[in-house]
Amino acid sequence: MKSFPFIYNEPREFLSSLQPKEWANFFLGELNPRFSVTATKAKVIEVKEETSDSKTIVLKPNWLWKGFASGQHVPVTVEIAGRRVTRFYSLSSHPNDKYLQITVKRQKGGLVSNFINQNIKKGDILELGEASGDFVLTKELPKDLLFLAGGSGITPIHSILRSLQTLNYTGKATLLYFVRSYDDIIFKSSFDSMQKNSNWLTVHYVFSDIPKEGYASGFLSKEILETYVPNLKSSSVYVCGPSPMQTKALSLLEGLPVKSELFLLPGQNVGKVKKEGTVDVFLTLSHKTIQVKGERSILEELEEQGIYPQSGCRMGICHTCVCKKQTGSITDLSNGETSQLGEENIQICVSRAESNLELEL
Amino acid sequence: MRTISKKLNKEEIEAFGKEVDTLREEVMAKVGKEDADHIRFIYKTYRYTEVLGRGLIHFSFEPISFVAGTLLLSISKIINNMELGHNVLHGQYDWMNDPRFNSRTFEWDIVCNAHQWKFYHNYMHHTYTNVLNKDHDYGYNFTRLTEAQKWKPVHLTQPFTNMFLAMNFQWGIGAHGYRVEYLETPKKLRKKKTLNDYKALFFKKIELQLLKDYILFPALAGLNFPKVILGNLLANLIRNLWTYAVIFCGHFTENAESFTTDEIVGETKAQWYLRQLKGSSNLEGNNLFYTMTGHLSHQIEHHMFPDMPAKRYREVAPRLKEICAKYGQHYNTGSFVKQFASVWKRIIAYSFPDHIASKVMGKRKKFLEPTIVLSQPSFQVSLPSEEKSVTLT
Repeated sequence: MKSFPFIYNEPREFLSSLQPKEWANFFLGELNPRFSVTATKAKVIEVKEETSDSKTIVLKPNWLWKGFASGQHVPVTVEIAGRRVTRFYSLSSHPNDKYLQITVKRQKGGLVSNFINQNIKKGDILELGEASGDFVLTKELPKDLLFLAGGSGITPIHSILRSLQTLNYTGKATLLYFVRSYDDIIFKSSFDSMQKNSNWLTVHYVFSDIPKEGYASGFLSKEILETYVPNLKSSSVYVCGPSPMQTKALSLLEGLPVKSELFLLPGQNVGKVKKEGTVDVFLTLSHKTIQVKGERSILEELEEQGIYPQSGCRMGICHTCVCKKQTGSITDLSNGETSQLGEENIQICVSRAESNLELEL
Repeated sequence: MRTISKKLNKEEIEAFGKEVDTLREEVMAKVGKEDADHIRFIYKTYRYTEVLGRGLIHFSFEPISFVAGTLLLSISKIINNMELGHNVLHGQYDWMNDPRFNSRTFEWDIVCNAHQWKFYHNYMHHTYTNVLNKDHDYGYNFTRLTEAQKWKPVHLTQPFTNMFLAMNFQWGIGAHGYRVEYLETPKKLRKKKTLNDYKALFFKKIELQLLKDYILFPALAGLNFPKVILGNLLANLIRNLWTYAVIFCGHFTENAESFTTDEIVGETKAQWYLRQLKGSSNLEGNNLFYTMTGHLSHQIEHHMFPDMPAKRYREVAPRLKEICAKYGQHYNTGSFVKQFASVWKRIIAYSFPDHIASKVMGKRKKFLEPTIVLSQPSFQVSLPSEEKSVTLT
């Protein structure tokens, strides 16, 4: 019999079995929903309408917020119909601002972006994670900077430009902002004032859908770059926008130092796979065997059948959904690699079933 | 096994199963914020009752606050085990994606380890409900509840062993857990994990629990420690008696049937539903009673839809009852006192050899006649006269 020596050897495990953090979180939460000892919770201070389909949410985080660098993104968890869902959003405010700010544009069929635009109001509580990402300024600022933004890809760039402003940037920066129409420009007034008060920034709006007199129209092309960016050859480039634009930019800017950030809707990063037949997935902890097609991520296919493992970002960043695969082989959707058959930890949100699987779920 | 339900043919069984499936889908589509709010309220109640209960026991210097504290702590433990723990561990709230209510991360205030419990309860008991030699919850391996179990003189003691079990119910659950997991592991795989490995997990949980209730909290109370030990002991005892009573009413009432392993070979989903219905029995009461039983008062609904948020059983029950009546199936329900008495009648009856047992248990009622004849549509009767009067007024 293995008795008290266990406690003696592992007092920590005993302490954690008392759930001190859960208790603390519960009672702090009763005092103020923003308080917690484990989760960064933020209160919505203000909701600003940017355009007809995007809103800026101003947030006051609790003491666990560790700060961020301009250009970084943060996981945001909201509760929709009782269910917690996480997505990543860039912070559009400056790190020195009193409050944080994210700007969310409605995506077609986007669960969270639509929810935030429709339902988030002053006083609500959102849960944040830690800011991350290397879409940030380098320590030594380049002399010439080019920013290519598409649609809501402007948010991290807005933050970076504000940083440049406070750093008293002395070089030259050009922003090419591709939007559908004049009314879709986010942060128009902010850019206007930045341009007025500085001599280093030039902003060009390019409209892809509805042209407007005095402005360029069309998509990213060699001509547009040549017309608006005289110092293209010596520029360091930051690109953030939808994936067709990024692909185009990367091919046009070959040879230049380019930093890019691409946000994908969950499921968007999954290459289309058509499979015949099904594979068996055996969940060892719940003793269930289910058939999946292996066309999409394991997480999605499980949820479709009413099994809800814990999950977070759904794009392989947060590791909430990690579980042990005991046998079978999977394909990692983020890099397309097929795994070995043996035991390993996998992220089920970016793994596709390749053969029969045994998962510790 | 004798049955008091109408024997259905294959098509009728499948039709029955289909109606149950439709009912399930309809209710599951509604699951959302309401259910999330419910479980959070339960969680809140559990936290507050525990703090208040423990606080009162610690600082009690007269019997009234001590009794109040002990009762609150018992309530807290009951809520933690039943409406919160049992239901969360069934995965009823996994969709919320909240680690507090996730079946993978939840651990409860009972000596039995949540993972082990999930194996023999969620898997073994819920798959092989009331199947002799397969469902280890059936009589907890020492209670004889049907003629199919061979009588041995030792069964004469079962009224007493059951009283003992009732008082120590959490130990019964915990201890039979690791054995079941070991026994049900295929022999080839057993070599990987010995019985001692399973045991070690169980003993680890025991240690954590004992240390918490009988050493840590008493120590915190200083010189008041005997009272704290007594309070915890009583709270655990009350919880044990309550859970025993509720759980035994779930499957061992007079008319709850048992099955043999041969009967379930090649069973379809519809037949499985039917077995869950015949093997389970409900308790009637008010909403507070339902919550305190963790909605095991709706054992039939729970066995048909183990992963449906439990509060939904209240709305499922009347509709399921209608379906059962339509197909002439006995829907076993009654008041707590009636059902518990019938459990004990059965425990006592089957402690004796068959000829005495069958006399005590008596002959069963004949098949129930279906209230609605299946082939006829149920909306045949129209009331033209009433319709007219409605249009006139």
